[in-house]
Amino acid sequence: MRSRRFLIGGAIIAAALVYLIYGGMRQAMVYFVTPSELKAQESGSAGKFLRVGGMVVKGSLHRNADGLTYRFQLTDGSAVIPVYFHGVPPDLFADGKGAVVEGKIGPDGLFIASTTRRGVQPRRARQALLAQGLRPRGGGKEVVTHSTMLGVTAGGIEP
Amino acid sequence: MTAAVGHAAVLVGFVLALWGIAAPLIAERTGNRIFFSAARGAILGQFVLVTVAAAALIYGLVTTDFSIQYVAMNTTRATPVYYRVTGLWGALEGSLLLWEWILIIFSGLVAYIYRDRHREAMPWVLMIFSIVSAFFLGVIAFASNPFASVFPVPLDGRGLNPLLEDANMMSHPPLLYTGFVGLTVPYAFAMAALIVGKVDEAWIVTTRRWTITAWFFLTMGNLVGAWWSYHVLGWGGYWAWDPVENAAFMPWLPATAFLHSVQVQERRRMLKVWNLSLIIVAFSLTIFGTFLTRSGVLSSIHAFSNGPVGTIFLVFLGAILLASFGLLAYRADLLKGQPELDSMVSRESAFMLNNVLLVSALFTIFLGTIFPLIAEAVTGAPVSVGAPYFNSATVPLFLALVFLMAVGPMIAWRRASWDNLRRNFLWPAAASLAIALMLFIFWVRDFMPLLGFTLCAFVAASILFDTALAVRARRRIAGEGIFRALVTLARRNQRRYGGLVVHLGIVLIALGIAGSMSYSIERQATLGRGETLAVGNYRIRFEGLRAIEQPTHYRVEGSFEVARGGRSLGVLSPALKFFPNQQSPVGRAVHRSTFSEDIYLILSGFSELDKNRATLKVLVRPLVVWIWLGGAVIALGTLVAIWPMKRQTAAVEEPAPELEAVG
Repeated sequence: MRSRRFLIGGAIIAAALVYLIYGGMRQAMVYFVTPSELKAQESGSAGKFLRVGGMVVKGSLHRNADGLTYRFQLTDGSAVIPVYFHGVPPDLFADGKGAVVEGKIGPDGLFIASTTRRGVQPRRARQALLAQGLRPRGGGKEVVTHSTMLGVTAGGIEP
Repeated sequence: MTAAVGHAAVLVGFVLALWGIAAPLIAERTGNRIFFSAARGAILGQFVLVTVAAAALIYGLVTTDFSIQYVAMNTTRATPVYYRVTGLWGALEGSLLLWEWILIIFSGLVAYIYRDRHREAMPWVLMIFSIVSAFFLGVIAFASNPFASVFPVPLDGRGLNPLLEDANMMSHPPLLYTGFVGLTVPYAFAMAALIVGKVDEAWIVTTRRWTITAWFFLTMGNLVGAWWSYHVLGWGGYWAWDPVENAAFMPWLPATAFLHSVQVQERRRMLKVWNLSLIIVAFSLTIFGTFLTRSGVLSSIHAFSNGPVGTIFLVFLGAILLASFGLLAYRADLLKGQPELDSMVSRESAFMLNNVLLVSALFTIFLGTIFPLIAEAVTGAPVSVGAPYFNSATVPLFLALVFLMAVGPMIAWRRASWDNLRRNFLWPAAASLAIALMLFIFWVRDFMPLLGFTLCAFVAASILFDTALAVRARRRIAGEGIFRALVTLARRNQRRYGGLVVHLGIVLIALGIAGSMSYSIERQATLGRGETLAVGNYRIRFEGLRAIEQPTHYRVEGSFEVARGGRSLGVLSPALKFFPNQQSPVGRAVHRSTFSEDIYLILSGFSELDKNRATLKVLVRPLVVWIWLGGAVIALGTLVAIWPMKRQTAAVEEPAPELEAVG
């Protein structure tokens, strides 16, 4: 009798925990893709929150007069995606440099980057770029500061 | 020369540690007790040698001996002396040496304090210390040598990460390491109890103060880390659920569970296996934390390197888990047969539920931390798990824990009667509901923060109510004044009242977290000189920029006049710091704290041509200051709980006679 009560209690707690974890995961799991992967599965990715790592195409970076709106193109060497970003970019963010954006891709193929979270670094983007013959700068030592939490993560990658 | 002395000390220390492991085994085999005292000699010898090694590295850092690679990497000629010393934990190699040093200080203290006690268990306790010490010394000597030389000797060093040049950063790693290492003490005594086969309450009673001390340092280490994140990292938050933060926080959860569940075992002889498992898990998590932070497996600002160290830590972790739980299984017969729970409504069950919740929180955080690794290994698709996961999955658990903080200390052991429940909880519940109603009418309309604040009020009310009853009783019995009665109560029952004060501190932290999580405002804008930005009740006017030459860097400061409700609060000057050795500037956020809210300014950019425009991010975060005040209250409560006092009951509290009688 007593052990059954424990079993029921345990089952309820376990179920609640599974629910919390599953609900949280569904909400907060972010897939990390490269621009080519994104292009390859564009239809399937629309509206999904994603993290994209690559390089800002040289000469593509435009900043609005308000200082908070940016348009640029992100590439991994083969595919190019246009990105729109409203917010404060990190210190390292610049034309021709590596960047990781988080956000959603619209039906028109424009990637709307929103505030990013601090988290896993653009290791995968580096690998993709390496595969394309582009080399990460500075021996791959990451310079990640508070800026990773502000909008766009800059990884320090250059051709 | 310095390097040679340091390295030699580490190598000899390593050999001594191996001897410290072998000696008790030989003694057991041969029956010659001389070898048991050798175990103590080995620890004291390691203490001397590791202190020499640490002193050598500090000497190298202070004298900027750039022939040592570690010194060249972590100091410059321009570095002030105190930051040269903190270079000891500025990178992997040095922080391992610091860890080992703290470990061997703890071990030495244990060896010294219990030199005439626990004759049977001590050799094994010291052997466990030697095993852990041998591991760290081995890593330092062979895999991650802080004394490695560099040739040609550079003219100047590279210097610390500028973010680490901060007073809080001087205290954060040592505090955390002290907490981590402190957990080795109850772990070692637990393992010794299993080896000797005396699995009663003795090991718990002996290590009680050590465990509370370790818990305290762990708490402070995490809080100082949060403080550093808030004050120095300059992103406006204090906790980002970064894997490295999780690594530091995870051992805190089983350690907290352990502090509570051992009381059930002391009182009711229950939960023997559970307590042993908890301390094994807590200790393993300290090693796991180092694996996460130092292996580079999850990169972030704290992860310095890639190297063989990660693998070595993982192997050691596996060995610990296997050996500890193996030992537990081997002694399973001795651990059988414990009293059953009398009622679901009792202090035992409240403590058990507290344990279930803490371990659930641990599991949730652990899963979220390692999930990206598993997912990438299994599917190949990189995934990240962000702060929203941790918040939504753990906040309900932590709220339930806050509720239990009101129940656990007040409810009766064994079986709580209706009368007991009504006497202890009626008034606190009524008071907190009244507060909730007031909050709802005037300020708080959202469910989660309202629930959080109400639960905080419930805990505070139940603690104050209980204490007030006890004080009234003292006044009636002994005729003492209120203050005198409080002192008597705290002296008579240090652990209880210390614990209640700690609970009040936790409540303050919960209050700060609930307020700042729920009601923060965030705005960003680019302002021209003289332009104003309105955020909440605040108006922020951009006054201009100025550049300042500093000894180690070049600093661009923005001046912002902050006003609240038409009244000027003065000028705040967030800055960007440009270090010559760094590619990007480092932000220096500024904030102004009051008891009700902080205003937090981050300068994120400026126009380089005319210096007339600045991009600013502003946060208004309510109640943050209570998190830090809560930390101070926890410190006070811990002092009340562990302050050594000579009392008549001291003899009762420190028994362990079974272990003393032998030998």
